[in-house]
Amino acid sequence: MTDTATNPIDAAKAQTPGRSLRFGTKAYLYTCLIIFAAVVVIPLVTTALGGFKTLGDLRGNAFGLPSTWMVSNYADILFSQRYWLQMGNSLLIAGLTVFLTLAFAAMAAFTFAHVKFFGSQFLLNYFLIGLMFPAATAILPLFIRIRDLGLLDTYWGVVLPQVAFGLGMSILLFRNYFRSLPTELFDAAFVDGAGYLRFFWHISLPLSRPIIATVGIISFVGSWNSYILPLIMLNSESKYPWPLGIMVYRGEFSTDWQLILAFITLTILPTVIVFFAAQKHIIAGLTAGAVK
Amino acid sequence: MTETVAAPGLSAGTALARPKVRRARIRGKWPVLVLFLPPALLLFTVFVILPMGEAAWYSFYNWNGYGLPTQWIGWKNYELIFRQGAFRNALVNNGLIILVSICIQVPLALWLATMVTKHIKGATFFRLIFFLPYVLADVAAGMIWRFVYDGEFGLVANIYHMMGLNAPFWLADKNAAFSAVLGVIVWKYFGFHMMLFIAGLQAIDKSVLEAADIDGATGWQKFRQVTLPLLGSTVRLSVFFAVIGSLQLFDMIMPLTGGGPSNSTQTLVTFLYSFGVMRMQVGFGSAVGVVLFVICVTLAFSYKRIFMKND
Amino acid sequence: MAGLELRNVAKNYGTVSVIEGINLSIEDGEFVALVGPSGCGKSTILRMIAGLEDISSGEVAIGNEVVNDLTPRERNIAMVFQSYALYPHMNVYRNMAFNLELAGKPKAEIDSRVRQAAQMLELEPLLDRKPSQLSGGQRQRVAMGRAVVRDPSVFLFDEPLSNLDAKLRVQMRSEIKALHKKVGVTSVYVTHDQVEAMTLADRVVVLNRGVIQQEGSPMELYRQPANLFVAGFIGSPAMNFFEATVTGNTARTAGGEVFTFEPGPKVADGQKVSVGIRPEHLQLGAYGIAGQVSFVEPTGGQTFVTVDVSGLPVVVTVNGEEVVTPGDSVNIMANPRQTYIFDGRTGERVSLN
Ligand SMILES: Nc1ncnc2c1ncn2[C@@H]1O[C@H](COP(=O)(O)OP(=O)(O)OP(=O)(O)O)[C@@H](O)[C@H]1O
Ligand SMILES: [Mg+2]
Repeated sequence: MTDTATNPIDAAKAQTPGRSLRFGTKAYLYTCLIIFAAVVVIPLVTTALGGFKTLGDLRGNAFGLPSTWMVSNYADILFSQRYWLQMGNSLLIAGLTVFLTLAFAAMAAFTFAHVKFFGSQFLLNYFLIGLMFPAATAILPLFIRIRDLGLLDTYWGVVLPQVAFGLGMSILLFRNYFRSLPTELFDAAFVDGAGYLRFFWHISLPLSRPIIATVGIISFVGSWNSYILPLIMLNSESKYPWPLGIMVYRGEFSTDWQLILAFITLTILPTVIVFFAAQKHIIAGLTAGAVK
Repeated sequence: MTETVAAPGLSAGTALARPKVRRARIRGKWPVLVLFLPPALLLFTVFVILPMGEAAWYSFYNWNGYGLPTQWIGWKNYELIFRQGAFRNALVNNGLIILVSICIQVPLALWLATMVTKHIKGATFFRLIFFLPYVLADVAAGMIWRFVYDGEFGLVANIYHMMGLNAPFWLADKNAAFSAVLGVIVWKYFGFHMMLFIAGLQAIDKSVLEAADIDGATGWQKFRQVTLPLLGSTVRLSVFFAVIGSLQLFDMIMPLTGGGPSNSTQTLVTFLYSFGVMRMQVGFGSAVGVVLFVICVTLAFSYKRIFMKND
Repeated sequence: MAGLELRNVAKNYGTVSVIEGINLSIEDGEFVALVGPSGCGKSTILRMIAGLEDISSGEVAIGNEVVNDLTPRERNIAMVFQSYALYPHMNVYRNMAFNLELAGKPKAEIDSRVRQAAQMLELEPLLDRKPSQLSGGQRQRVAMGRAVVRDPSVFLFDEPLSNLDAKLRVQMRSEIKALHKKVGVTSVYVTHDQVEAMTLADRVVVLNRGVIQQEGSPMELYRQPANLFVAGFIGSPAMNFFEATVTGNTARTAGGEVFTFEPGPKVADGQKVSVGIRPEHLQLGAYGIAGQVSFVEPTGGQTFVTVDVSGLPVVVTVNGEEVVTPGDSVNIMANPRQTYIFDGRTGERVSLN
């Protein structure tokens, strides 16, 4: 967080231990942390291992290593079309959602941040209403609207409401970021004769990489994990994103836990990998919205 | 990284004092308004505001969603809602979630945050582990815990078997199911609250804590008298998110229990889904939506008014 | 109240050694200033005394008791932080009372002690305010008050005045001095401002790169600097230095200027040395080393004249009444008894004075 490379080291301010902890304190800390880490990790690890077991093995030996490694559980899923199709659907829906959210939110936020016009404050507040209630409250009218627009059972039927509900937060984050950029930039650019459009494209956007990342991560994770909207808007299994797919899969193999566990593992695997690979950005992104 | 991202956000409330430059002559004011505003505005109005308004309208009809709503029934849907046992369950359950969040989850998150901000090896690793459940989809988490709780193949069952006992099916027991669900909620979300607290703890001036050391405070006194008061706004924020989160809870309940057994694990949103959407009772479901909306807005507003007015 | 002793105290971060075996003994009631350039380890020493930082090796003793393993709480010290470190959520009264509350003192005693301290520091009208409602100087005073209400064995100050403006700094300086006179507690005062150290302390310890260069009364350091570092560090404007070679009791620079001095026992002919003369010990006169005035800085009572001597800038302090203008050709005269000679290799002073 604090970048020690850029700040001078000062014993009085450094984030260093100062006084090291007593052995007892350390033992206590590690004990507690390890217990809680175990509570977090054991369900995940047993899930992943469970996917390698036989059902009988699972019944008697849910915690241990598989007595025979049933790699076929995983392999069958990996070679099935359904897994890849669901992942593809999720990716497509999330990609569209992120793209539209970024584009629309950045543009709207730009006008709120820089263009003076009558009713600007009112319009901003109008968008912020969206922060106050979850999509679920209006889910039925939303369904009817999507149906009447003929978008039922299409990707757009999921994407557009998702984008719409993400706009409030995204516009707020973008606007605050734009406003925090130094004013001199604007004055200089406008003196140079740039109009708003050019300014947006050549100055605001290139400087907004951090906030684009934040908004992008928030809306991607939201869409990737979302369940209720696709559940209501999509009918054909070929369009299902993975959270829906996982439920269908469970319905089909209701007691074949080993298969379900393998399926769960494979569906959350991308999330886990990306999380550990880009943990800093993801944690920052997901908490940035909170401490707005 | 957090800093650069969060910092501009922090200035949200304190509207930046910008010099009032006359920008009348800047080119392209109208084109930019006409181009930039409508997409967001249109989308937001069509898919957020109008549906909300329509929900209020439909809620006075008995309507199955086909044709036009014609059968006006006044407040009957609302009466019906409050007469439903399942709805009362949902309300109580949402209250319980909030209670557990405040009494267990937030203190737990704070406690863990104080531990992982100490200078010990592996602190970052523990943070990651604790945050991991928050990143997973609710559906996946619900699924995993359905396995954990499974009375025949699950982890709980295995523990019972090891002790030579018959394993219970907690999720199928209407007295135990919701407690089990509460456990999953804590498991899933404490990491998020922990991250909030970590940010809060790191914002505390280290030398103030050292001053407390010098003043003779023990570890607990330091926490109680210095750290905790200085974390006030973070605690309020954390509780706020717990409240809002509880009102939205749906994805995780579905794979776990779907609201059952005998509606013992309904939340407001699962209630809306099972009784409004599943049965295509558009009027009734809309009324539930309106109730949910009113609860959200009232809670959010009053909480902000009462507890967060200085934050 | 108690004395304080550091025995071979060292500190290292991993392989980086920050403090290298320091020995220092401070008497009961003494006011000692630790002074040195930024990064020399002053704060580190202070924090080791306070117990905020681990001691890598050696011992710290307060009043004959080795306190290495005691927590700050158990050491009974008071500390004034550079950033003040006031509790933002407590008012001035509670900031000062906090220690006494923790110590479980009776309410009445707390109240009387806080009020007494507040009176001493003129904080009475501010007792109900939060730190955020105070000016820098007031905060500084509260930080002092927090230390004063207690009855500590040692006072520690870590650059307590560095966040104040110049005028306030001078004022607080005298208040700290008065305070020490009144309460008479053993004090260690860290600063990088040598003027502050000289005016406040009974004894000044000059530190560089984690090593004590010299300790002594302010005038000792000024009159008999042990080495080149102390000579350059103490005194303002700083001492002028010339590279030179010794012959008998004179030192000759490459440019041909000759300085006479009083040689000590360690001086040998042909030795490479640095000649050091303070600006206030140089005079402009009719004969001596020739040079040309390059610029003039009047400060009122005194004027600092920079003279170019064979390409080397030499600062001379002259009376403010004297008229000197850039471009003037002048001669500089030095007094042999105020001419310091330092060994070119070790930096140690080898002249008698
Ligand atoms: N955590 C650390 N790791 C490595 N080196 C450190 C650490 N903390 C301090 N140092 C080093 O220790 C030395 C002494 O630091 P210290 O803060 O004591 O200096 P100081 O004399 O108080 O300086 P200043 O006048 O700037 O406050 C510095 O050279 C610094 O680089
Ligand atoms: Mg320092």
